[in-house]
Amino acid sequence: MIWVQLVNGLMEGMMLFLIASGLTLIFGVSRIVNFAHGSLYMLGAFLTYALVPLVGPGTVAGFFAAVLLAGVATAAIGTAFEVLALRRIYGSDPLMQLIITVALVFIIRDVVRWIWGANSVTVPAPDALMGAFVIGGNYYPVFPFVIFGAGLVVVLVMIGIIRFTRAGIILRAGTDDRGMAALLGINERLIFTGVFAAGSFLAGIAGGMAAPYGDVNYLLDTTVIVSAFIVCVIGGLGNLYGALAGAMLVGITKAMGVLYFPRLSMVLIFLIMAVVLIARSLGRQGGPAR
Amino acid sequence: MSRSLRMTPARWAALGAAIIAIELANRVGGPGMSLVLAEMLILALFASSLNLLMSYGHMVSFGHSAFFGLGAYGFTLMVTKAGLPVEAALVFGPLAAALGGLVFGALCVRLTEIYFAMLTLACAQITFTVLFQWYDFTGGDTGITGFMDARFGLSEANFATLTLVVLGVCLAAMARIINSPLGMSIRSVGQDRWRAEALGLAPRRVQLVAFVIAAFFAGIAGTLFAVSQGSAFPDYAGLGFTLDALIMVVIGGLHSFWSGVIGAVIFTQLRHWAPLFTDHWELALGIILLVIVIALPHGVASVAGKLARMLGLEGRK
Repeated sequence: MIWVQLVNGLMEGMMLFLIASGLTLIFGVSRIVNFAHGSLYMLGAFLTYALVPLVGPGTVAGFFAAVLLAGVATAAIGTAFEVLALRRIYGSDPLMQLIITVALVFIIRDVVRWIWGANSVTVPAPDALMGAFVIGGNYYPVFPFVIFGAGLVVVLVMIGIIRFTRAGIILRAGTDDRGMAALLGINERLIFTGVFAAGSFLAGIAGGMAAPYGDVNYLLDTTVIVSAFIVCVIGGLGNLYGALAGAMLVGITKAMGVLYFPRLSMVLIFLIMAVVLIARSLGRQGGPAR
Repeated sequence: MSRSLRMTPARWAALGAAIIAIELANRVGGPGMSLVLAEMLILALFASSLNLLMSYGHMVSFGHSAFFGLGAYGFTLMVTKAGLPVEAALVFGPLAAALGGLVFGALCVRLTEIYFAMLTLACAQITFTVLFQWYDFTGGDTGITGFMDARFGLSEANFATLTLVVLGVCLAAMARIINSPLGMSIRSVGQDRWRAEALGLAPRRVQLVAFVIAAFFAGIAGTLFAVSQGSAFPDYAGLGFTLDALIMVVIGGLHSFWSGVIGAVIFTQLRHWAPLFTDHWELALGIILLVIVIALPHGVASVAGKLARMLGLEGRK
C-alpha cells in the first residue's frame, strides 16, 4: 500500500509542479502572482473533458492530443487576458494586480458553470491505461505512472528550453534583471506575454492530464491554487527547482497522509510550510521577494 | 497614502444622513429588507477590520475569514460544548478570533508583501480544514445549528438596528485607534517599515498588534453573523468570505477609513439585486472588478471625495 500511495504522491506532485512552475515563472518575470492559475488548471480539465470525445475517445493518442489542444486553448485565453487586462496595470499597486487576477477567477468560474453546469463530470482514462500490474503482490494502477512520465517529459522539455534556447536565455535575463534586459533591447512586453502564455499552457495540460484522476468541477480552482501557493512558498517564489522540491514534498505528504492520518495531512503540510518560512526568515527578511 | 481621520461638519452631516437613511429603510422596507441590511452592516464591520490592516498597515491579508470563522465558532462552541448561556458566550467569539490572530499573526508578520498574503491564505485554509474535518468537535460540514434562537429572537428590524449600533461602536473604536499614537505607529510601519525601524519602532511587533486588533473586530463580525443566522458553518472561515471582504475594500477604494463600509454597501446591494437581472452574478462581478482596477484604481471613495470637493463641501487638500 505504501508504494502504491508513493506513486500517487509522485504523480500528484508532478501535476502540482506543472501548475506551480507556471506560477513561479510568471512571478519571476513580472512580479505578478496569478490568482487565476488554478482557474486555468480547471479550464484545462473541462476543455479536455469536452475534447476527448471529439478527438479520439478511448485511445491513448486521442487523450494526449485532447490534453495538448486543451493546453493550447488555455494558453490562448491566458494570453488574451494578459494582453487585454493585465498589461495595463504592470508596475501599479501589487494589490491591484492580485485583484485583477481574482476578477479572472470569477469570470472563468461563472463561464465554466454556464457551459458545463455545477455538477462534477468525469473524464475517462484511455482504455489501454486502465489496467494495473502486479509487483510483489501489490496492484499498481498504470495510469498514475503514465501521467508521472508524461509530466516528467514536459518538465524536461521546459528545463531544456529555459537552459538552452534563446527564448530561455531571454526569460532568465528578464527574471534576473528586468531593466537591464530591456536596456539590451529585449522587448519586455513580449517576455511578459510569452511567459503568461507558457504558464497558462502548463496549467492547462496539468488540468487535462490529472482530469481522469478525480472529479472535475468548478470548485477545483481554489483547492488547486491553495496547494500551488503552498508549493511556491516552500520552494521560494520565482525559484523553479525549489518549486519542484516543494511539489514533490506536498504531493507525497498528501498521499501518505491519506494512509496514516487522513484528517491531518493538510495541517501537516501547513506545518512544513511554516517551518520552512520561519527557517528562511531567520536568515533573510522573508526570502527573495522581501 | 492613508491620512488620519478628521471629521469635518460636512462629514458628520453625511454620516448622520447615512445612518438615518439606513434606519429608515430598515423600518419601512419590511423583514426582507431588514435581513439584507443586517448582513450588509455585519459585512461592513468585517470589511472595515480588513481595511484597517490594508489601508493603514499596508498588510494585504488573504486569510481574514479565518477570524470571521473563529469568531462564529468561538461563540457557538462556548454555548454547545461549555454550556455557557448565549449572552455570556458572546464575549468568547472575538476573544477566540484575537487569540487566533495572535498565533497566525506571529507567524505571518515575519513575511512581507506577497509572501504575507500567501501565508495568511494558508492559515485561513487550515482553519477552514480543521473546522470542516473535525466532526466530533465542530460538527464538520453540517455545522452547528439549533443552539439558540436566530437573532436572540429579536424581530428582523430590531436586530438590524442592533447591528447598526454595534457597527457604530466598533467604527468609533477603530477611529480612536487610528488617531492614537499606536495608530500612528501602524501607519508609519505601513508606509515605510525601514524608516519606522530606524526611528525606533519594532515593525513586526507593531504589525502583530495591528493584526490582532483586526482579527478581534473580524471576530465581532463573525459572532454577530453566527447570531444572525443562529448557526455556524465552516464556510464562514472559507476563501469566499475573504474574497468578498477584499473586493469590498477594493470597490470602496484603499487608503480611506470608509472604504470597507462603502464597499460593503455597494457589494451587498449588488449581490442582492443583481440576480433579478442576470443569472451570471459572478461574471458580472468579475467584469466590474476589471473595470474598477483598470479605470478607477482608487475606488468609489475617491469619486465621492472628488464630488464633495467639486460641490465645495470640502476644501482641496
